[in-house]
Amino acid sequence: MRIRLRSGMPVVAIFTLVLVLLATAGPAAAQGKPIRIGEINSYSGLATVYTFPYREGLLMAAKEINDAGGVMGRPIEFIFRDDKLKPDEAVKAARELVGQEKVDFLAGCISSGVGLAISAYAKEAKTLYFATHCQTSRLTWDDGHKYVAHTTNNVNQYVRALAKKASTLPYKKWAHISPDYEYGHNVWDEFIAYLKLQKPDVQVMQENWPKLGETDHSSYVTALLQSNAEAFISSVWGAQEIAFVKQARPFGLFDKVKFISASVGNPDELDPLGKEAPIGAITPGFAWYDDGMQKRHPKLAEWVKKYQDRTKKEPTLGASWGYASAYIIVEAIKRAKSAETDKVIAALGEGYEMEFPWGKVIMRGCDMQAIPPQWVGTVKMNAQNKPVLGDIEETHGKDVIKSCDEVAKLRAAAAEKKK
Amino acid sequence: MTPTRWLGLLILVLAVAPLVLPPFFLQLLTEIAIVGLFATAFNLLMGFGGMVSFGHAAYFALGAYTAALLVKRVGIPLLLALPAAPIVAAAGALLFGFFIVRLSHTYFAMLSLAFAQIVFTVIFKWKTLTGGDDGLLDVWPPSLLKSPAAYYYFTLVIVGLSILALHAIVDSPFGYALKSVRENPRRARYIGIDVRRHQLAAFVISGAFSGLAGGLFAFYNGSVFPDFAYFTKSFEPLVVALLGGVQSFFGPLAGAFGFKLLEWLISRQWPVYWPLFLGGIVVVVIIVLPSGFVGLVGGRLWRSRSAAKA
Amino acid sequence: MSWITNGPLITVQVMSGLSVGMLLFLVSVGMSLIFGVTRIVNLAHGCFYMVGAYLMVTLVEVLPDRAWTFWLALLLAPIGVALLGGVIEMGLLRLIYHRDPLMQLILTFGLILVIGTLVLLAWGPDNKSVSRPDALAGSVKIFGQPFPSYYVLVLALAPLVAVALWLVFYRTRWGMLVRAATVDREMLGALGVNVAALYTQVFMFGSWLAGFGGALAAPTVAVALGMDGDVLTTAFVVVVIGGLGSFAGSFIGALLVGLLQSFGILVFPAISIVLLFALMAVVLIVRPWGLLGRPEP
Repeated sequence: MRIRLRSGMPVVAIFTLVLVLLATAGPAAAQGKPIRIGEINSYSGLATVYTFPYREGLLMAAKEINDAGGVMGRPIEFIFRDDKLKPDEAVKAARELVGQEKVDFLAGCISSGVGLAISAYAKEAKTLYFATHCQTSRLTWDDGHKYVAHTTNNVNQYVRALAKKASTLPYKKWAHISPDYEYGHNVWDEFIAYLKLQKPDVQVMQENWPKLGETDHSSYVTALLQSNAEAFISSVWGAQEIAFVKQARPFGLFDKVKFISASVGNPDELDPLGKEAPIGAITPGFAWYDDGMQKRHPKLAEWVKKYQDRTKKEPTLGASWGYASAYIIVEAIKRAKSAETDKVIAALGEGYEMEFPWGKVIMRGCDMQAIPPQWVGTVKMNAQNKPVLGDIEETHGKDVIKSCDEVAKLRAAAAEKKK
Repeated sequence: MTPTRWLGLLILVLAVAPLVLPPFFLQLLTEIAIVGLFATAFNLLMGFGGMVSFGHAAYFALGAYTAALLVKRVGIPLLLALPAAPIVAAAGALLFGFFIVRLSHTYFAMLSLAFAQIVFTVIFKWKTLTGGDDGLLDVWPPSLLKSPAAYYYFTLVIVGLSILALHAIVDSPFGYALKSVRENPRRARYIGIDVRRHQLAAFVISGAFSGLAGGLFAFYNGSVFPDFAYFTKSFEPLVVALLGGVQSFFGPLAGAFGFKLLEWLISRQWPVYWPLFLGGIVVVVIIVLPSGFVGLVGGRLWRSRSAAKA
Repeated sequence: MSWITNGPLITVQVMSGLSVGMLLFLVSVGMSLIFGVTRIVNLAHGCFYMVGAYLMVTLVEVLPDRAWTFWLALLLAPIGVALLGGVIEMGLLRLIYHRDPLMQLILTFGLILVIGTLVLLAWGPDNKSVSRPDALAGSVKIFGQPFPSYYVLVLALAPLVAVALWLVFYRTRWGMLVRAATVDREMLGALGVNVAALYTQVFMFGSWLAGFGGALAAPTVAVALGMDGDVLTTAFVVVVIGGLGSFAGSFIGALLVGLLQSFGILVFPAISIVLLFALMAVVLIVRPWGLLGRPEP
């Protein structure tokens, strides 16, 4: 068989030589003193509304840490990569960061799929991965292992805190609207399980599962109005929830059925909604502006001002997560007195607590999961006619989160399923 | 340098690469080879068959999930599971292709997209089988093939053999019949070529090798997710093949190399604003290079495609 | 779903579906028009919709807060998008008209990346919103059921636009030239018409329509990054269902899709993700050129 080659071959050959030259030029940054953390997140596209403030918080903390002398005399350095919201791109970035840039640790994620993919890689590469912005409980529980820690909230905690509040309300007939993917199912399952635990006579009247990113919710609104539910929970988030709220309002939905939301209290949703915000909705949120919050946490105002000076914007929950993540990583290294993976894992395994301007965060040893304070509030209009959260009720994640024993059982069950 | 000497040089370079290149670059080359196979299989349909598909991710994903599920759930070793990937993908291509090849141009493309979205939905919703959007994790090759260099060689061998096979198909009587169908279907029919059957056969072969690429990718990546079937994945072989040059058999490989390299360099330089630069380069390449990357070299050996078919 | 026999509710649902369909029509007809004349499948069409919505946000913020602010913004935003379209057509697309249609497709794909990032740079990552004008913020009663007043506007405006478009295409000289171009552009050029200028005008007009769709839709959705992707896919599906290059096809396709969104998710809730594509698959299997499309040469 004779191979007839067109001029494609020389091009491929040339390119290969180019690649070899590039590769032998060596890694981009020299190794040396700094402790390098490869941070993979979604820095392009629609997730930027969350990741930009998160990154600001992270860098603000990094600067503070380095200005104070770093960790054991070494500065920390974050090297950023975009995951393009694709798990396989995240794995590719992780490979480059670990294999080529020789980072000490991996960090980041906002999408749960991405977090799980990086975690699977980290286990294989025996590199410690600090999952940050993504929320799935699977990270440290069902799919947990010793090479993954989670530095922020997980769905289990904040949904249970919300469900706990919901159980104090006089509603027995519930419905929901949740996006049809892992997160939506996760939130609804956690919410209804905990709600029924607290209030066994709760009835589920209707389930609504719009696709993620749905733009027209009018039929769901109509369905909810016909459901005979007294209250409903929404785990629809971001631009989709803004659209949902705007579409539901003229139908009078929020007057007829009490609105509980897993995320409408966040400024990325409340601010654009403005006068269309769902007043009276009950939702979690980081209400740093609230008088009660500032009284309980005297250092909060100062932190907020620092953030505002740095970014000319107001902080979000994500910003607090970025800030906390950097400090949590550094604390683990400090306690291990080393940046060596196994030693840091051991330090994490012992667990520790840290005080932040918004309260105490516990890094639990049995599952390397962070447990922060939880806040649930009600949407109101402030004096400047801007929607905010008020009547903030604060609990702590430790009062609702699954116990270490329950986690162990969960992990065992998941391992069985995988066999 | 004759083409054969170039080929020899290339094979030599690729063979010794693990001795020179750090592991990450071996992984990058592995990915390029896989994408190159996907794009070449895709181009069998597009460049040689004249049929543009917007839904090839379906076959890629079918291959990836087949291989991953067989290894993880059934416990079959990789070497036996991998051949199943192109078989299942081919079956899917046969099933969908039967409907798709009855259409042409944009309608062909959109129906293929519709079927791909259906595959995506099935994968997404059938959680108990596929893991849904949690994906299938810990999908690694056996320890013999796990190191970057080992999987690199493995991929090169499989991709190399596949490229040879595809080249043989393109150069065979079937391939010529396909090209004549692309150029003038009516005339092809008049000289006795069964147009639909040739198109469907091309569709199935293209789907099969796309599935093989998917299977290789599953174990390269370590996990499979439903978005392997999403339409954004379908655009990758299209962009890669077009940028590389659809007229040349090796164009898609060149495109895979160039595009993946560019994409990587741009993403690490500008983690936030990379789409601007990548999109800009795509626009510039289209305007400046009529025959894609391969047009950079060997104008003389070039037969450029006649202008608009509209 | 016991309310399926509830007449007033059904009416309201149908009207919602039609409103959504009408907004979709505005975007789709622009895409169909551009394809019909220039034979370019403009993948950046969703970006025009998005820019129209974002311009609406800025105009409403920047203009003084009066009763007419919303309407002036609605008038100006699409013009901005048309200008953008003109720049793109004259600066980039003109260079590749003689090329393979696939290369043109990839170029518009590259444009998506570029325009998307430019929007991020210009407006930042935050979600934005346009409020409905006070007069239309509430609801009216249709057979006793509440129905958003803003959708009444859409239901009134979009058919007017459709009629206006029909008048333009079938009752003006320019429209005749456009229709001639969809049939045989070479002949048109041979007859002395400045085809290049016509292409620019058509592209700008198509962009204007997309921008208008975006500006009009803005108060009903969130104005955020990524809104281009969703509308592009849906508009493309509408155009294909209706038949590429068919004006009436786009109209019918848009209405079908709008109604499908309204009712389909109630009848087939489990497959809401793929309902749109399933509809398209069914249509294409039965009618290979879309509902009203013409076989290509």
